[in-house]
Amino acid sequence: MIDRKMQSVLSLKSKKAGAVATITLRQQLAYKTDFIMRSTFLLLILFVFVQLWSSAYEGDRTRIIDGYTLKQIIWYLVFTEAITMGVPSLCSLIENEVKNGDIAIRLIRPISYVGYHYAAYLAEAVFRFFIHLAVGSIIAWTFVGPPSFGWGWAGLFSLTLGAISIAFLLNMVVALCAFWVEETRGMEFVLHKLQFTVGGMLLPLDLMPEWLQRICSWLPFQAMLYFPARTAVNYGSASLLQQAAIQAGWIAVLAVCTVMMYRKGVAKLHVNGG
Amino acid sequence: MSTADNESRQAQTALGTLRFLLTCWKVNLASAMEYRLSFFLLAGMMFINNFMWLFFWSLFFHRFPVVNGWSLSDVMMLWAVGAGGFGWANMMFGNFHRIAPIVSGGQLDVYLSQPKPVLLHVLASRMSVTAAGDFLFGLAVYAWVGEHTLSGGLRFAAGLLISGLIFMGVMIIAGSFAFFFGNSEGIASQVFNSFVALSTYPADIFRSVAKVLLFTLVPAGFISYLPIGLLRDYNSGFVWQAAGMTVFLLAAGSLLFRAGLKRYTSGNAIAMRG
Repeated sequence: MIDRKMQSVLSLKSKKAGAVATITLRQQLAYKTDFIMRSTFLLLILFVFVQLWSSAYEGDRTRIIDGYTLKQIIWYLVFTEAITMGVPSLCSLIENEVKNGDIAIRLIRPISYVGYHYAAYLAEAVFRFFIHLAVGSIIAWTFVGPPSFGWGWAGLFSLTLGAISIAFLLNMVVALCAFWVEETRGMEFVLHKLQFTVGGMLLPLDLMPEWLQRICSWLPFQAMLYFPARTAVNYGSASLLQQAAIQAGWIAVLAVCTVMMYRKGVAKLHVNGG
Repeated sequence: MSTADNESRQAQTALGTLRFLLTCWKVNLASAMEYRLSFFLLAGMMFINNFMWLFFWSLFFHRFPVVNGWSLSDVMMLWAVGAGGFGWANMMFGNFHRIAPIVSGGQLDVYLSQPKPVLLHVLASRMSVTAAGDFLFGLAVYAWVGEHTLSGGLRFAAGLLISGLIFMGVMIIAGSFAFFFGNSEGIASQVFNSFVALSTYPADIFRSVAKVLLFTLVPAGFISYLPIGLLRDYNSGFVWQAAGMTVFLLAAGSLLFRAGLKRYTSGNAIAMRG
């Protein structure tokens, strides 16, 4: 009896999340021009990276540096960029909701506030990830050849969901600071830059100094970008299960932080008017 | 009217415009200081944000000490000149990259109704609070790795001037397209992001057509080559070209803006300047 009740509650919750995801996807499809514009920026950035790394490798495609050929590095960057540019900006959204009082409308809806944003974030991020992956592939394929990574693709897709969830939770923790401080944009900047550097977005962690690699292994950022991209281009260099377990661990820790911050923040929230 | 009267009137107008500019900057600063904590927080975060990029470059050059003749200190000076130039321009003329939304949103009326040069008034009527962080970052990096001689200081100051003016010229041109193509905010913002991205990578990593484009159609090369052509190995040919390009971009931007003003139709929006 209790099991059936639980099942129906879960089914109802997943239906609500599904509806939010569908609406988000429709919104994304409504702004095609904006989407194309952003994708062209990815083309430019990847072109710059191709130039930079070709110079670093002195144009030698057979040279292997810390386990990476030029081709692997470029495809690695395509994957990290696809994830980074795939995830939407959460801080400005939540900050605006808190500032202008729109949060009041979200709170009275029969769906968890964090859950609502997670469903919308996931739908948008997955959709944009695939589009950016396709766009980025054009550059990489043109300059360094096709992606012949075999099982690496399975590794990439299986770790990307966890990566997006970690990105959501990290951004949510920063975004929820809007309950206490007026501006969260600065903190978001720093968070993004941590992802860029110690997350391995611009440089695989294997190319970093040993001491930094040790520090990075204790941070959540590597599970967001480095794990999926490294697994894609160097499948088998680390256990897929171990990486998935680390991702799950960080999701659990960050989820607890998010829930605690949300509960504390929403309790002190005052929305006037309407 | 005699030539002397004419000259005296011109001098008075110039003096009046200068006084007007000083008042604009004073009011902008007072307005930013109204939210002092937010100001220091945002400026500080931008400072840290830029340092994170230097951190990435230090990791990159740790693995590849010299790339096409560029070392870490050259890239640091590239960031000093780029961020510093962008910083002062954005502090004193903070609307230079917001012309497109102002025009397409019909917000020019408020500037047209006042007896001051419209473009100058638009540019100087906003101060970016994060830009202070960029400017201070530029100075800090110069203090760290720059050449501390009179000649070195003057060349660095010239670099800041050229870089800031080129950013302004490019964005005035891109923003003025809004007069001719309507809602071109997306294009302007894309030009802005692309230009900033291109000007923060060493000019010498680009080859053949890309390098030609970097010094012609997308003149970001005149910023990204400053650490070599102006600061490290002074090349008078390059410096004159950079100065010429700066003048050309500003002149082209002003003419395009003036031509665009003739096509501008009011949005009938009631706007107030805060």
